Amino acid sequence: MNQAANASQPTSSRFRRRKGWPATGVRIPIYRFGTESLMDNGFSEGPSYIPEEDQSMLDLLLLAQWEDRMWKGLFRYDVTTSEIKLIGGRRKFLAQLNEQWNKDYLTEPDNNKVCYQGDPFICNWMKHHEELLFCAASGEKADPELIPAAAVPHGAIFVILNASPVEYGHVFVVPGGFNSLHAFLDARSLELVMRFAVEINNSSFRLFYECSTPSASHIYFQACYFPNPLPVELMPVVTFFSEGQGGVQICGVTDYPIKAFMFTSNGNLKVLVQLLAEICYCLREKNISYNLLISDSSKKIFLFPLLQCTLSAWECGGYFLFKSRCDFDHSTEEAMLKCLGAVSLDDEGFQVVKQLCCRVASQLAS
Amino acid sequence: MDTQLGLIEQSFNVRYSVWVREALDDLSGSFTTTDPCISGHPIVYASRGFLKMSLYSRDEVIGKNGRMFQGPKTNRKSVMEIREAIREERAIQINILNYRKDGTPFWMLFRMSPVFNKEDGRVIHFVGVQVPILQKHRQSSSGFGRNGVNLCEDGVFASRRREVCSDSVAELARFLAMDSVLGSDDRELEVDEPSEASDLEMRNAVTAINNTLSVLTHYSELTGRLVCGKRCCLSGMGLLGSSLNISLGRIKQSFVLIEPHLPDMPIVYARDVFLKMTGYARHEVLGHNCRFLGGVETNSSTIFQIKESIRTEQACTIRILNYRKDKSKFWNFLHISPVRNASGKIAYFVEVQIDESRKNQDKQGLSHKMRQCSVVGAVKAAVRSLSMVTDTSNS
Repeated sequence: MNQAANASQPTSSRFRRRKGWPATGVRIPIYRFGTESLMDNGFSEGPSYIPEEDQSMLDLLLLAQWEDRMWKGLFRYDVTTSEIKLIGGRRKFLAQLNEQWNKDYLTEPDNNKVCYQGDPFICNWMKHHEELLFCAASGEKADPELIPAAAVPHGAIFVILNASPVEYGHVFVVPGGFNSLHAFLDARSLELVMRFAVEINNSSFRLFYECSTPSASHIYFQACYFPNPLPVELMPVVTFFSEGQGGVQICGVTDYPIKAFMFTSNGNLKVLVQLLAEICYCLREKNISYNLLISDSSKKIFLFPLLQCTLSAWECGGYFLFKSRCDFDHSTEEAMLKCLGAVSLDDEGFQVVKQLCCRVASQLAS
Repeated sequence: MDTQLGLIEQSFNVRYSVWVREALDDLSGSFTTTDPCISGHPIVYASRGFLKMSLYSRDEVIGKNGRMFQGPKTNRKSVMEIREAIREERAIQINILNYRKDGTPFWMLFRMSPVFNKEDGRVIHFVGVQVPILQKHRQSSSGFGRNGVNLCEDGVFASRRREVCSDSVAELARFLAMDSVLGSDDRELEVDEPSEASDLEMRNAVTAINNTLSVLTHYSELTGRLVCGKRCCLSGMGLLGSSLNISLGRIKQSFVLIEPHLPDMPIVYARDVFLKMTGYARHEVLGHNCRFLGGVETNSSTIFQIKESIRTEQACTIRILNYRKDKSKFWNFLHISPVRNASGKIAYFVEVQIDESRKNQDKQGLSHKMRQCSVVGAVKAAVRSLSMVTDTSNS
């Protein structure tokens, strides 16, 4: 039943080895964003060419390519065979039993830089080029367009499957392409990725960013479809900044073990992107680790400032994976609270970040 | 769109007879009925009171999703809460800011209740009641000076116009510009403040829901397809929840879901496109085994392949000769795949059909294979939410 059992090597090494992103000679599906700018004209209703009721072309493409690779056996396991449950208690934490999950790529130090320091094209990914599902890039037509097979355009987003998925549709979303050596999150990358989430237009689709790998040669996001809202998304919030341009609001998430922020915008996505990129830059300057969760088609962004980056972004959101049946069966809300609480900033640290957020937001508004 | 409107007509008439609209029209108050089983969870009925309050005509509202009344100042959290209630198929009461056709915002008390099929406990409709909250009841520190002023009489707001259905770039830009100008007006701020409903308004909402439910229940007796306001039976066969129905409704291609744990493996869900492709009505399909698609010339070894695929719980792709209701034949490029729920167990098999004679339908240039994979992927992602267990043993 598990057609994916024949994968050869662990994801971690394969993914890191290909940080340089060679892309000549390969023809893959390219999704071209429409030129109707979501950025300048507000997106509270979504782009006009994607009615919320219908599946968007981008959503369809991602699911089709993922399922196709499932069928071809490129995953280490079928993630839909794993069990999920709600952990009893007020926070509604989610737990998944996944005995085959390989967390290594999240914690291993990134010591493999041979790839782009030498010839980027030795990265050997042609051998596994099917792991690259498709690219998304800006386009020239009003409506988005799908080109079934084309060379990778400059500045595209690479969508690569994660062979150790934590949920259906788990992919790496790598902005910028091969020429970008940014090791930190910049506004351009964030804008592309948030636009990606807008155009996918599926409320179960969530994007994650972890700043945990300062030595990584390339920034990347991860994304997957979570059928249920993550616990943090259901928590009450208190708005403390709402005078921003573009209807930007900054809220504090209450009653949650990690002190976190929620950013929303009813109007201008570009302003939200600028704000977030600037805040992330400041956090980096101050050596404060953080994770990001982009949900609800980029309408809600959660920022988790962290003492240390030992948790993945979905864990910060309240979704936990267990490799053993025993741990899974004995998981409790108290244990999860403790685990999350251990990485959260204290009140003082949170106030510092809060003031930082307000300052950046006020500066942008003026 | 015609088929959609047809489905909406059906949604109401089949269940409550053609006379129910007249009876509902006689009820006072503002209320709507929505059908979560139709793609997009559209409004299938809107009362006179609702139309008067929202300033829309009936044609502009029927077939649309309730979100068309939301606007930039509508609290997203409230919207989320309503979405959650729909997902969990339960009643909800909440204060929410909505917008009329002319763009004027107004606070209302929204109360929504599911309507169940008496026989199998399935949610067939949601009834939503909208009671406008008068400004004098609003908890506003500065509001006393304008006691009793209804927002719709307030000229300031009437100057805003908002086209939800055709928001062209120019219109949106103008609208946003307006927004920022009005943002400096102190009256605008009141729209941001949450509004409290009075006891009277709450009582009105309850009465309106009860009146509507009682009309629907009464008229469902005429057709023999009984409904009720409380879920009275959960024994039903392979029921799909409203939220799953809504997720599946986003998929625009032909597919059916088969429940493998029931005798004779009946179809428990059929997409509209499937009905159109085969010429059958939904009730002729639900609860039946797929074999009705076969005919004299259908290859028995292909049928065996399908059975094997289900028995061994493996996905498979085949070409099979099928028959429509009118006995005409078509080659069905069929893909079958198991679909698992939150516990990792197989909940359904999805069968994705592509009528091979209609090759050039796809304007996006996607291959048959890709289309099929996308349906399977979307169904798998959606069904993963089913049968989630809450573990309370440790808390």
